Amino acid sequence: MQIDKALVVAKREYRTRIKGKGFWIATAILPLLLVAMGVVPALIASRTTSTKAIVIVDQTGRLGDALVEAMAPSEDDLGSMAEFELTMEAAALDEMAQRADLDARILDQSLDAWLWISEEGLEDGEIEYHAETVSSFITQTILERQLTRVVRHDRLGALGVEAEVADELIRGVDLRTVKVSETGSKEENEDAGFFLAYALFFLLYMMLMIYGQQVLNGVLEEKTSRIVEVVISTTRPLELMTGKLAGICGIALTQVTIWLGSLAIVTLPGVVASFAWMPDGIDIPQLEFSLVGHFILLFFLGFIVYSTLYAAIGAAFNSVQEAQQFASYAVFFLVAPMFIFIFVINDPDSTLSVVSSLIPPFTPLLMLLRLAIKSPPLWQIILGYAGAIGFAGFMVWVAGRIYRIGILMYGKKPTVQELWRWLRYS
Amino acid sequence: MTSLNTIELTGIRKQYGDFVAVDDLSLSIPAGTIYGLLGPNGAGKSTTIRMLMDIIAPDAGEVRLFGRERTTGDQDRIGYLPEERGLYQKMKVADQLLFLAELHGLKPSDARPKIEQWLERVGLADRAKAKVEELSKGMQQKIQLIGTVLHEPDILVLDEPFSGLDPINQGLFKDLLAEYRGLGRTILFSTHIMEQAEKLCDHICLIADGRALLNGELAGIKRDLRGNTFRLVADGDLAKVESVEGVESAVGDPETGSMRLILGDGTAGSSVLRKLVEFLEVHEFSSEEPDLETIFIKAVQDAN
Repeated sequence: MQIDKALVVAKREYRTRIKGKGFWIATAILPLLLVAMGVVPALIASRTTSTKAIVIVDQTGRLGDALVEAMAPSEDDLGSMAEFELTMEAAALDEMAQRADLDARILDQSLDAWLWISEEGLEDGEIEYHAETVSSFITQTILERQLTRVVRHDRLGALGVEAEVADELIRGVDLRTVKVSETGSKEENEDAGFFLAYALFFLLYMMLMIYGQQVLNGVLEEKTSRIVEVVISTTRPLELMTGKLAGICGIALTQVTIWLGSLAIVTLPGVVASFAWMPDGIDIPQLEFSLVGHFILLFFLGFIVYSTLYAAIGAAFNSVQEAQQFASYAVFFLVAPMFIFIFVINDPDSTLSVVSSLIPPFTPLLMLLRLAIKSPPLWQIILGYAGAIGFAGFMVWVAGRIYRIGILMYGKKPTVQELWRWLRYS
Repeated sequence: MTSLNTIELTGIRKQYGDFVAVDDLSLSIPAGTIYGLLGPNGAGKSTTIRMLMDIIAPDAGEVRLFGRERTTGDQDRIGYLPEERGLYQKMKVADQLLFLAELHGLKPSDARPKIEQWLERVGLADRAKAKVEELSKGMQQKIQLIGTVLHEPDILVLDEPFSGLDPINQGLFKDLLAEYRGLGRTILFSTHIMEQAEKLCDHICLIADGRALLNGELAGIKRDLRGNTFRLVADGDLAKVESVEGVESAVGDPETGSMRLILGDGTAGSSVLRKLVEFLEVHEFSSEEPDLETIFIKAVQDAN
């Protein structure tokens, strides 16, 4: 192996890409995209909030006023997703006529919903809700929560409990989530921790996919433009492949370092606190530097596996169209963890999670997920890395053999048997 | 073993499945010569060159360079222009050349002034920062050529260098070959166009079906065949000429009555002439120096 030749190739790959606009646009756009994916739906939801006009018919005469009071907008109702305009209407003698009238008002859009509170219903713990759509999740959740509170107050009041005491009695509890890890325990918001694991998993998935594709295109470019023959007249095919992968990997690591480095700095506790514009109650999980380290190592291993595979596919075929079919098989390694990921997030210690994260081709993605959620036992981390390193070495061997023959083969599309034969050439 | 031969191939062989592309081929290419590897398409020229370039390994035989066994660094002393050519389309001209120079072991600081000089020489100095894809085909050919010689190789290996070249670049190529020979460097090129080789080569090797048919100094080969080649101008049934005893081949145009005859080894011209006058009105029968095409045809016939 002439390292200097591989370095010349790597330098070319790195420089042409880092000088290109594409790299910087992608580097800038992806974080914006991720932020947009998180923020925009919430923004849209808050902007499109309309006032819901709801009529309450309270046959019991005890709950309506309390409900109207409970639902009144308050100062500390931060980021409220819906506003309500509640009106009491007395129960008419002709119940059927009143119901029909309310239904008619819903249909002519002058009313969004109506609630019917009756003694019989309360005994069964039910209050009727009538609306055109009965799947408006936010409205119903808020109503349900407030109604429950009002009804409990009412029941306790009947037993002679005063309102202040009642509040104290029905107060619920929250789970205070504390993440235990090798580096010590730390309080962390459950949702925020989940979001971080989720984001890292998808970032790794996307990067492996995108950079694998870049390797495929790069190898095909060299082959179809025929520049490859000049290059391998002075280097060995393996040096060319190594240099190419090293250059593209360098670009990817540069990008990751920019992203995660800045994210890790931004989420340092002191820095987060300094964001004056940050609303209270939003938890930002800290991105630990050790996790960044794992991400980079696991990306590196995953990259070797997928990119050597793509390099071999690119070398074996003559055009993007020809290669795409095989490339889509290669994507299996990336897609399979996507199906498992939800189980791992749910229970990172289940047998399924542990075993699948130790299957070498899946290790980069799934071990990262487990590391982001909680610290797996050290032996599992070590075993995972060892397996992934071994598998990466095996892939380099397999892909190298196909690459060195394929890169010089023009003409007809090779069959699977032919690829197998290339593999066994000494 | 001391040898004046820059390139020496001994008994090389390459087989793909049942197809033998090159069979027991031996070439000795002396230093400072222009050596032509001639043969029809599919004769095994490119395969031979690829084995010489260490792109593919021969199944048998040996490649020696500079009078000794080949070493890794030798590849940097060769400039190679493959038959199928290409450049990185998205790269800038100067960056591309720098890459090729570095690949052949040149330091960037040494390569840059050379790139400038060469671009100046071919009139593309103002396009150094242009992307390759923005250049015309002829310009790309020039860049390709510069990339082949930038590291001042001791050996030039050119596979069908003239195919697809425009006349200006053909001229550029020929100047370069002359210049290189003047510097005592060695040039091997392959072609299937005999007239080209005839004008440029000192030495030739004719190959067909992967085997060398004829191998040596062009002038010597021609001298050896001089007694065998005759020009005939005659009226009569020229179609019968080929069947005359002692005539190995008769190529020509029966309409104009002019033919070139190649006689079998040891056949005297006068004995053939005696038979020809029996059925032809002979106007001219003269000994002449054979051209490469004739030599090639004779070599193929001898081989069969």
